Amino acid sequence: MNRNKLFFKKLFIFILLILAVNVLLNTAYDRWMYYFRLSRNQDKQFEVYSDTLKYLMLGNSHDRINPAILGNGFCYIMPKEVYTQTYYKLKYILEKTNKKPENILLSIDPVNFCPRAENELAFDGYWRKYLNYFEIARELHDPEYLLNWVTGTFFSYIGNYKYIFMSAIFFNADLHKIKDGYIPARNYRNFANEPDREALGFEIATAYLSSYSNKSMLGETIYYRKILALCQQYKIHLILLRMPMTDEYLKYARKMVDLDKLDRDIMEVTRNHCNDFEIFDFRNEFHNKPWYFFNADHINPEGVRIISKKLKYALEKKAIVK
Amino acid sequence: MLFNSIGYLIFLPVIVILYYALPYRWRWALLLAGSYFFYILWRVEFVLILMSATLVSYLAALKMGQKAKKKDRKIFLIISIVINLGMLVFFKYLGFFTDIINQFAAITGNKFSIPYYGILLPIGISFYTFQTIGYTLDVYRGVIKPEKNIGIYALFVSFFPLVLAGPIERGRRLIPQFHVKHDFDPQLFTSGLRLILWGMFKKIVIADRLSIFVQPVFSNIAYFHGIEIAIAGVMKMMQVYADFSGYTDIAIGSARLMGFRLSANFNRPFSAQSISDFWHRWHISLTSWLRDYVYFSLPFKYHGKTVSWRLNINLLITFVLVGFWHGPYWNFIIFGFLHGSFMILANITKPVMNNFNRITGLSNSPFLLKTLNITATFLLVCFTGFFFGQHPLRDSFLIIENLTDFSQTGKAILLPLLKNNDLLLSFALIIFMLWFEYLIAMKSFATKFMSKPVALRYSAYLFMLFFILVFGIFSSQKFFYFQF
Repeated sequence: MNRNKLFFKKLFIFILLILAVNVLLNTAYDRWMYYFRLSRNQDKQFEVYSDTLKYLMLGNSHDRINPAILGNGFCYIMPKEVYTQTYYKLKYILEKTNKKPENILLSIDPVNFCPRAENELAFDGYWRKYLNYFEIARELHDPEYLLNWVTGTFFSYIGNYKYIFMSAIFFNADLHKIKDGYIPARNYRNFANEPDREALGFEIATAYLSSYSNKSMLGETIYYRKILALCQQYKIHLILLRMPMTDEYLKYARKMVDLDKLDRDIMEVTRNHCNDFEIFDFRNEFHNKPWYFFNADHINPEGVRIISKKLKYALEKKAIVK
Repeated sequence: MLFNSIGYLIFLPVIVILYYALPYRWRWALLLAGSYFFYILWRVEFVLILMSATLVSYLAALKMGQKAKKKDRKIFLIISIVINLGMLVFFKYLGFFTDIINQFAAITGNKFSIPYYGILLPIGISFYTFQTIGYTLDVYRGVIKPEKNIGIYALFVSFFPLVLAGPIERGRRLIPQFHVKHDFDPQLFTSGLRLILWGMFKKIVIADRLSIFVQPVFSNIAYFHGIEIAIAGVMKMMQVYADFSGYTDIAIGSARLMGFRLSANFNRPFSAQSISDFWHRWHISLTSWLRDYVYFSLPFKYHGKTVSWRLNINLLITFVLVGFWHGPYWNFIIFGFLHGSFMILANITKPVMNNFNRITGLSNSPFLLKTLNITATFLLVCFTGFFFGQHPLRDSFLIIENLTDFSQTGKAILLPLLKNNDLLLSFALIIFMLWFEYLIAMKSFATKFMSKPVALRYSAYLFMLFFILVFGIFSSQKFFYFQF
């Protein structure tokens, strides 16, 4: 009996140690994770934003448009953001703040609809403020989403060693460069100088698009449709974008999925749920121009500048860019 | 519920605490309820199949127990095997056989074709069917007496640590453990926790990370050639090992927390010196099952004498069955056939090889000979691994064709990705896993470790735990062997 008592005493101490280390890691990660710092900085900037909110950019790191070029806009994108998160952020903005954007900019590439993107709710440590995990679990009939709340609240660091390293590297990053939510695009390498562009294109295309079990069937669209419904309800004009991609990425993307068919399906869903939108297609804008890219699927600051200008021009002329 | 899910991390402690809190006579009921709850979370309908398999083998064994003569028991054995195997064939192999018949009809010019509707494979059916068949065979042979308590027997079939992917336990080993009162044993409990931790490390940190590289190669095989396929082939076998042995460690560890001892399923398979040695170290519970109930049941005498060609044919049949057990695909049949053939070849060429080793002086350098044998076995296993999967058979041949094609090396896709830190980390982790398992295999390591100060041991456990948490892939990937 004494042996057992001693064992349980040791076990108790060990569990306390685990909890202590966990609290320490979770707090440190939550406080210093680079993306969290960026996004919370965006939150603060959005809170004090007092200009006319003509354009609000939502979505993930692909959808980088410079609001300084576009004028009267706020760039509220976050890396790895999926439509589920976009929907809840937009809902929060419309219901909990007194800011109402006139136009919302959102990208509609098939990669946003692939099953992997749909299932992956990343960075719950930040997103738990916006997301209603119980509602998501109920709507998607998957209780696992409740665990995202648990992870985001108590274990936000788990599986994130890359972001821990990244946060250490960018520990002294100057967050003042963020203006109207716009985080300048990465520029420390250029895709044109990559010796293995094919490999990089293949890697990125496979990472997400290979999760399509049927290469010509769109993934889940529930939260995209909810975004459209919110826009309808609040009478917000929707500006849909197809952002530029490298030739290498598109080559493999076309092998993974039927891009044209998926594009048509996305348009059909959009038309069925929204009647106030327009679309600007920049996908092949930088065909044979790899120097405008940071990597296979992200444009660099120069690329952002050009696309932002083109978009501004197109919006002014109301011409569909093709 | 997956072992590598937060759900299981809640479920297991609850069950363990309740297990020790309950009076002994109710513990089996708790485990049975817990096991069915664990299983039902996959799909409610699957429980009916599990229950049917349990009921049929239970009743057949009871009836056999009432018959003194073996020949009187036979009919119940046949009924039980036909029903249990019938369910396995229906759910797992019906599509395969339908396909063969339809193709045969098409070749011979017949216009008929049997319609086939995709049937969902009940998870764990290959494992628990073999467990129930093994039990009825043991009762038939008089090795064990039939279990009278249907609850205990149902627990034997559905015990949550092993119902999904084994180890395939024998009735004579596991059922008596359910009848014994397990007092809390701190040593066994701690060893169980250590195994769970090690299993989680293999699954979450190694196997799931390797799958990030292996899966794209084998799903897009046309793009890969030469060295890329060779690397992916090695990584695939490491992934399967880390995945399945990780699962088994968690299963055995979970059972130990409640005082149960399950059979070992792996014993450092990549240190095997021959294919035969490999199968004594890989999925031991399956190979020993097939050895005891199939291989030894096949006729090995010809005109009253034991002849080697009969033994070799039996070996081939057994290994084709090993392959076919994994799934209704020609790939797996070829996988088993290759392993059986390699073993027969080794048997036939043994005298020649011994002479060769003597002449070349290899037999005087045991270390070199051992290293060569281990390397050759490992490469053969990796080669057969190209057939180990549910991809179409033509893809397996395309893999081999592309493997020998070095003309495309300039266009290599995987090699640039080798620069990726994740991949380098994976290689380092593989080496660590093999080295650490070598240490564990040496009994003195455990004794030395346990004699270290408690602060040091706790620090080691904490480091391992948080290493898993930080470096793990937490997308709740299923275990590789769940598909079987």
